[in-house]
Amino acid sequence: MVPLTWYLTLAAFMFCSGLYAALGRRNAIAVLMGIELMLNAANINLIAFWRYGVTPVENVDGQVFAIFVIAVAAAEVAVGLALIISVYRNRKTLNLDELDILKG
Amino acid sequence: MPELPIPIPPLPTLHESVFMAIALLTVVGAFLVVAARNLFHNALGLALTFFGVAGVYFVAEAEFVGVAQVLVYVGAISTLITFAIMLTRGMMYGATSPLNRQAGTAAIIAATVFVVMAGLLGSLPWPVAEEPIVDGQIVIANLGVGFVTEFVVAFLLLAVLLLVALAGAIVLAQDRK
Amino acid sequence: MNNASLELNIVALAPAASMVIFALLVMAVDVFARGTRTQPVRAATPWVALLGVLVTAGVCVWLLGQPVTTFQGMAILDRYSLGIAFVVLVAAGLSILVSARYIPRVNAQVGEYYALILLISAGMMMMGAATDLIVVFLALETFSLGLYILAGLRRSDAMSSEAAMKYFLLGAFASGFFVYGAALVYGATGATQFEQIAAMATNPATDLTFIYPGIALLIVGFGFKVSLVPFHMWTPDVYQGAPTPVTAFMSAATKAAAFAAFYRVFLVALPSQQAVWGPALATLAVLTMTLGNLAALRQSSLKRLLAYSSISHAGYILVGLAAGSIAGVEASLFYLLSYAFMNIGAFAVVTLLEKQGEMDADGARLRGLGQRKPLLAAVMAIFMFSLAGVPPFAGFFAKFFVFAAAVQGGMSWLAAIAMLNSAIGAYYYLRVTVVMYFNAPDAETVSEVKSNWPLNVGIGVALAFTILLGVFPSLWTTLMESGVVTALALR
Repeated sequence: MVPLTWYLTLAAFMFCSGLYAALGRRNAIAVLMGIELMLNAANINLIAFWRYGVTPVENVDGQVFAIFVIAVAAAEVAVGLALIISVYRNRKTLNLDELDILKG
Repeated sequence: MPELPIPIPPLPTLHESVFMAIALLTVVGAFLVVAARNLFHNALGLALTFFGVAGVYFVAEAEFVGVAQVLVYVGAISTLITFAIMLTRGMMYGATSPLNRQAGTAAIIAATVFVVMAGLLGSLPWPVAEEPIVDGQIVIANLGVGFVTEFVVAFLLLAVLLLVALAGAIVLAQDRK
Repeated sequence: MNNASLELNIVALAPAASMVIFALLVMAVDVFARGTRTQPVRAATPWVALLGVLVTAGVCVWLLGQPVTTFQGMAILDRYSLGIAFVVLVAAGLSILVSARYIPRVNAQVGEYYALILLISAGMMMMGAATDLIVVFLALETFSLGLYILAGLRRSDAMSSEAAMKYFLLGAFASGFFVYGAALVYGATGATQFEQIAAMATNPATDLTFIYPGIALLIVGFGFKVSLVPFHMWTPDVYQGAPTPVTAFMSAATKAAAFAAFYRVFLVALPSQQAVWGPALATLAVLTMTLGNLAALRQSSLKRLLAYSSISHAGYILVGLAAGSIAGVEASLFYLLSYAFMNIGAFAVVTLLEKQGEMDADGARLRGLGQRKPLLAAVMAIFMFSLAGVPPFAGFFAKFFVFAAAVQGGMSWLAAIAMLNSAIGAYYYLRVTVVMYFNAPDAETVSEVKSNWPLNVGIGVALAFTILLGVFPSLWTTLMESGVVTALALR
């Protein structure tokens, strides 16, 4: 059987890769991809904790949470990409360093 | 045969080998997302990661979530992101760096978070080896019952959320002069 | 899973459900009007939405007398959730009035705009009612998703779409932290319901290794939503770029909703770990107040000024949570209500100062407003005095109650720093007043101020309550105590 720590290490790695992409990438879509990695990492955690819970058959909270996260992520990506494309139409760039008209 | 100074760890079981292979796939995908210069390669890496994560769910015997992952993440989200990349094609990288000015700081933050999290895992007193789930159908049945009883509030809220997304799509997309 | 006792008390969801029903009604009205092209019917959408707000407020007043009810341990109806519902309703109602003549100039999808405002409000009310991490997550996403869209309402405008995209990216980033934190708390305690988490967290058999990173990540997630320093960098950009009525709604209602869940998660689910999060939150409160105020000193745009001011107000409200007591919670609730009136009022005045097609007003445009529009200048001055915490306006008692709660909770040093910060804040609020009365009007300020009656009603209501709550703060406390329920159902 796979130890819990393996799942959690994989999740931590994915979360931190996502964190790096979200903070360090220039392109808005690349940042969004990093955020998706972070959400997937959280889902791995949820499933792993569900599996190692006291009664995984009866207590399915972790799975339910993971399914809701997946559903929300789909809606969020759809709206987010629409916003990103409307920025692209107005500015012809998605480079976050150049998108800086909002400055004090 | 002389005694080795370090005991040889037991060979991984089939289960563990499968997990390792899937995890490797996932890690490679995540690495592609983060490191590849071309946005298309990022998106391919992302799809690979999504597949890997679905595999992880199957190994953990959460088949329903695994299927949902394939349908939603691989089927819908990867496709959407690919479309967005194609619609904004001018943005694929040429000579400029894909990283912004604070990428160094970002790397340090990410590495620190990983070290802290991995360090916590080391101190984890979690001896429970999970029992294989005998009847997976009961889990799925419990999920279904959960959605319409215990989690019905969450289910209703999700409906509101999708309504928001739909109304938002109209606001963002439709022109009415 | 406990299916033994189904508690399907629809009453616990009544305020949010009423908002959703009216949102559907608004959409239906819009659709029917679209077929016939009858302008009068389409012009009715804001009033249907406003009717929804009023009906829901009536439902909430009726519910004040009802006993505490829970819905499957997922949502709860208590004085606290109703208090948050009132704040959200105030914000929604005032924003609808401010929007009535503004939004048609910005986006043609007027019907969807009001439907979205109501749906977002429903999500925000659920933030106050949620007693489960899953429900908190869904409520958070429901209102955030709606707000991303509203921020980008003006699609052809580069500022608006940039603000929406930045808001979306940082909001989604924060959701990532929130879910990861919630997952770790779930891992440590094996539960997502607050009461079960609280029970497991005090159980000596529970291994709490994961709960600390979980708490840290939850603080980061909520910190983004309520814009605490150092998670505040999106706030000025988004507030400046979003259409002004949306900014007004966002500033007051998002704070209420996010603080509502923030409070409940920490005080109901994790009170046993207060030794860990109490000092952390106190530190964040100090940072937020100080940096927010210092940055506000340097702003020329009115919307950016109010954005940094809203960051510092988040710091003051957080003082109430750091105190960790019932008094702190009640004080914060009063603060959120007063803030809704005075801040939306201030933003409403800003909409009047914007030129046609413009989304922001420079502080210089206030020059000589005292001579050109004495009434408007006086109103703006009152909002500024209230935000600064000058008696006898609502903002004074809001600050007073929160600081008193901090002193009671043994955090006198925090109260002292907060008071020092109010003094810094007073400088830039009063400077606005000085510019209005003591600077001569110039070419920049000649633009004529176009007002309309819904906006005037909105400003009037905000003004009336800013003064009323300042003179009789007991109005609110009496209203809340008319219910038999206890705040937060804390034991």
